[in-house]
Amino acid sequence: MRISGGPALLEVVGLAAGYLGERVIDGIDIEVRTGEAVAIIGSNGAGKTTLFRAIAGLLPSMEGRVVLDGKDLTGRPAHRISRAGIAYVPAERHLFPAMTLKSNLVLGAYPNRPDRETLELVYDLFPRLQERQRQQAGTLSGGEQQMLAVSRALMARPRLLMLDEPTTGLAPKIAQVAFEALGGLKEAGMTLLIAEQQVPLALSVADRGYVLENGRIRLEGASDELEQNPEVRRAYLGVA
Amino acid sequence: MRAVILDGIVLGLAFGLLGVGMTLVYGLGGVVNLAYGQIVVLAAIVASLVMNEGVSTALAAVVGVLAAAGVAVLLDLTLMRPVYREQGEERILLGLLLTLGAAFVIGGLLTWRYPTGALYVNISGEPISILGVPMAIGSIWASVIALVVGAALLLFFGATTFGRGVRSVIQDEIGARLVGINPSFVRTVIFALSGALAGIVAITSSMSGPLTVNAGFELTTFALIVTVVGGLGSVAGAFLAGVLLGVVNTVSAHYIGQYITSVILLGAAALTILIRPRGLLGR
Repeated sequence: MRISGGPALLEVVGLAAGYLGERVIDGIDIEVRTGEAVAIIGSNGAGKTTLFRAIAGLLPSMEGRVVLDGKDLTGRPAHRISRAGIAYVPAERHLFPAMTLKSNLVLGAYPNRPDRETLELVYDLFPRLQERQRQQAGTLSGGEQQMLAVSRALMARPRLLMLDEPTTGLAPKIAQVAFEALGGLKEAGMTLLIAEQQVPLALSVADRGYVLENGRIRLEGASDELEQNPEVRRAYLGVA
Repeated sequence: MRAVILDGIVLGLAFGLLGVGMTLVYGLGGVVNLAYGQIVVLAAIVASLVMNEGVSTALAAVVGVLAAAGVAVLLDLTLMRPVYREQGEERILLGLLLTLGAAFVIGGLLTWRYPTGALYVNISGEPISILGVPMAIGSIWASVIALVVGAALLLFFGATTFGRGVRSVIQDEIGARLVGINPSFVRTVIFALSGALAGIVAITSSMSGPLTVNAGFELTTFALIVTVVGGLGSVAGAFLAGVLLGVVNTVSAHYIGQYITSVILLGAAALTILIRPRGLLGR
């Protein structure tokens, strides 16, 4: 079932998290290997965002472990998980709206100075951003903000890039372009973990996927297996 | 008229410094530090006590500034911890109550121990003529210090990595955490900076007249007004608002009467909230 043979970069073991003592996700086991793209698919409210927030340290976990490349990150605050190499791009993006696009990118490399190579890589990936360097982030279009959010995350040269619903608020055509860019990132060797409701898009980039339902992993498998799975076809691909 | 306006600018630069210390702390975490004026007074009393020991004025000033910064850090590490664990309205209310408590404790202790305490940094020298108006040398020193500190702050927030990090926490705390910034550490550093600024205000404002032990609440009020008018978390906004309000203050005191100035300043703050809630240079 494993397609890429690399060692596990991210290991999530028995993770439980939620709000006000209620477990939104429970018993989550996930593995992402270096160089892989992995999709978490599931409907609204299945717990995708809770899972990502818990991995990123924005939400304390109630049980289980998060391990990056053998290093246990469980219970660390978000800024330390970020510095350990996990970059998280939330659906709301959380850009710095009153700063220029360039300043947002520079902050992505915090506490280091941004290195020219990464900046060039980002501008190659999204040439639009270079044209708008001096523009305030809050005045960019939805698509440009998404590009900036991904680019800001890349500036830290992360080991793993987690994207929550990267197509939120994007027109279908732009969502398509966004996923093409993510495919390019994967080609360049970036390890990706993507939560997405638009399942066909997600599976077009991902090597493997996990289906999350009511806070638990229901299914896992290679993308083409999942695409052929009757349950997945009925529930997420709109095939009767 | 020209003299009144120049006096207003001198006063306004001190207001600006005062406002920066309050607006940054407020912008970073929603805490209105009602003990701010008492920290200014504390710096003044410490500096005056050190001066009475025969130490040079400059060294006494440094000790006063450090004492204020130290007390601010202490407040952040103790009283402010439960505040930052809360969110939204609870955080604002708890912050108001606890800093008000700190204001009473610090102010009370100082007036009890040093009922006639005051700092007066007397700088001797002939008045210098500016635009044909003879300005006291103390006022000029105070203004130069305020301008230099203001310029340093703008440079710090605009051009350094940590300064940018501070602004990022003001604009989006979650975003800041995701790029690897520790908001709690940033708040402690800025609380210390705010204390140091309170100390500098104590020194500069005592250059043109004595700063007495009971000035705390009036200073807090001024800082609050500057924060509202200047805009949340904006250094340049605080200085702009400070100078404007300083001029309004001296002009109204000169042409109407001292009694009316506080009302006019509070009115300016209220008007700002009504017509431009984000302040002059706020987001």
